[in-house]
Amino acid sequence: MRRLGDLPLMVYGVLVLLFLFLPIAIVVPMSFSAASSLTFPPTEFSLRWYQSFFQDPRWIEAMRVSLLVAFMSSLLALALGSVAAYGLVRGTFAGRRLIDANFMAPMIVPPVITAVALYIVFARVGLLGTLPGLVIGHMLLGVPYVVLIMSVAIRSFDVRIEQVAFSLGASWFTMFRRVLLPNLMPSAFAAWIFAFITSFDEVIVTLFVAGAYQTVPKKMFNELVLQINPTITAIATLLIAFSVCLFVVFALLMRRAGLLGRR
Amino acid sequence: MPLLLAMLLAFNLPILLMLGRSVSGLEFSLEHYQRLVEAPVYLRVLANTFKIAAISTLACMVLGYPLAYWMRGLRPGWQLVAVSLVVLPFWVSILVRTYAWIVVLGNDGVVNRTLMGLGLIVDPLPFLYAELGVVIGTTNILLPFLVLPLFAAMLKIDGRLLDAAASLGAPPRTIFLRVFFPLTIPSFGAGAVLVFILTLGFFVTPAILGGGRVPMIANMLETLINRMPRWELAAAISTVLLVVTLLFFALYRRLTEASEGTLR
Repeated sequence: MRRLGDLPLMVYGVLVLLFLFLPIAIVVPMSFSAASSLTFPPTEFSLRWYQSFFQDPRWIEAMRVSLLVAFMSSLLALALGSVAAYGLVRGTFAGRRLIDANFMAPMIVPPVITAVALYIVFARVGLLGTLPGLVIGHMLLGVPYVVLIMSVAIRSFDVRIEQVAFSLGASWFTMFRRVLLPNLMPSAFAAWIFAFITSFDEVIVTLFVAGAYQTVPKKMFNELVLQINPTITAIATLLIAFSVCLFVVFALLMRRAGLLGRR
Repeated sequence: MPLLLAMLLAFNLPILLMLGRSVSGLEFSLEHYQRLVEAPVYLRVLANTFKIAAISTLACMVLGYPLAYWMRGLRPGWQLVAVSLVVLPFWVSILVRTYAWIVVLGNDGVVNRTLMGLGLIVDPLPFLYAELGVVIGTTNILLPFLVLPLFAAMLKIDGRLLDAAASLGAPPRTIFLRVFFPLTIPSFGAGAVLVFILTLGFFVTPAILGGGRVPMIANMLETLINRMPRWELAAAISTVLLVVTLLFFALYRRLTEASEGTLR
């Protein structure tokens, strides 16, 4: 196909890509800077900001809370979301679309509204500032992704294979354990990663309902509003590395599950 | 279905209670909405939010369309590279990316030092803690939400349509304006609406890059809840935001359906 304005278009496209990528390209080298203020490009290199991160017990504690909450909420989201996705795909009952839309709602409703709503309710039932409250909030935000990914996975899994298992006398639980689960494993793992990252990066709901609990994003946010501390470049770089690793695993899993990259 | 129960308890009920909170003290009243309309402060913040959302959306459209169009024409290998470059930032925490913009746009930041080094300006330009900084950061973060679906929609356009137009003697410009562009309008519009919705509720970037000087709805809600305890007012504002968001989401759904319709 002949195209419009090839060269200018290429220049423009590359510039926009650079714009998209600029934040990452700046933060990573800066985290290795030896200077005590934020300057780019760094003139000397050191690991001092990584040191100051790993030697600060408050950051380590925030990391621990973040990981704990992300693990619990993503596992919960995966368990509940997968069962729901199975019911939605295989079941035939009235109001399915409505229920499906309801599961997707936390993705569409601005998180700050979810945060306000949770705050008001948690304040009443005493979940404000508690770990369970935080886990519930994060689970809500992870659920849409789980339902989305698992629905696609279950839909693309031939229902006849399940029926064969039943016809050979398997109970639902045996079928689930021996047939469905092994086949859905890659997708489930991918969905879990998505829910995990969602929780791990979450700021807004955390700011509203976490009370005294500090997660890494919450602590970062609070520090950023007050001052600019170069330790954050190190944390940011670690988070980028972490996200990129999870992204690669996610992409590989989706490919294995046949949900991505088939042309 | 356990999830349904969990959702009802943990999501629907809180939202309903919030709606309830917005119209009640001890009895039903629209008092909080009245206060909302009467106090110019809140209306100004609402207007400001819409303004920033509109500007950011426009910026995403201007940057995103040519990018997606260019990516469509790339060879498959390069296409994969380009898509990865769009998707990767998407996976990196919003907080991290926003933080980077402080470094880039600050008074002593990369942009200002370059401009001063080139002798183009004498004093640093105040990007940070101003609307421009918020718009730049927001655009940067939300751009993938427009580019990815638009690119996917462009890929689905049948190349033979364009070849047919060319074989009938249409110059590239005409093909683009009369055939290609009209086919992409629904998905382009859907992407723009999505960015707009997301900006309306955006919290982190305005808070950090705006430094409290660029008030947006989400940040005002945080102040009302965490610092002032004015829950009813916060609930009323949330309700307004929720309704507006849902209205735009309905528009978004119509556009995506239209887009699937034209491309099938």
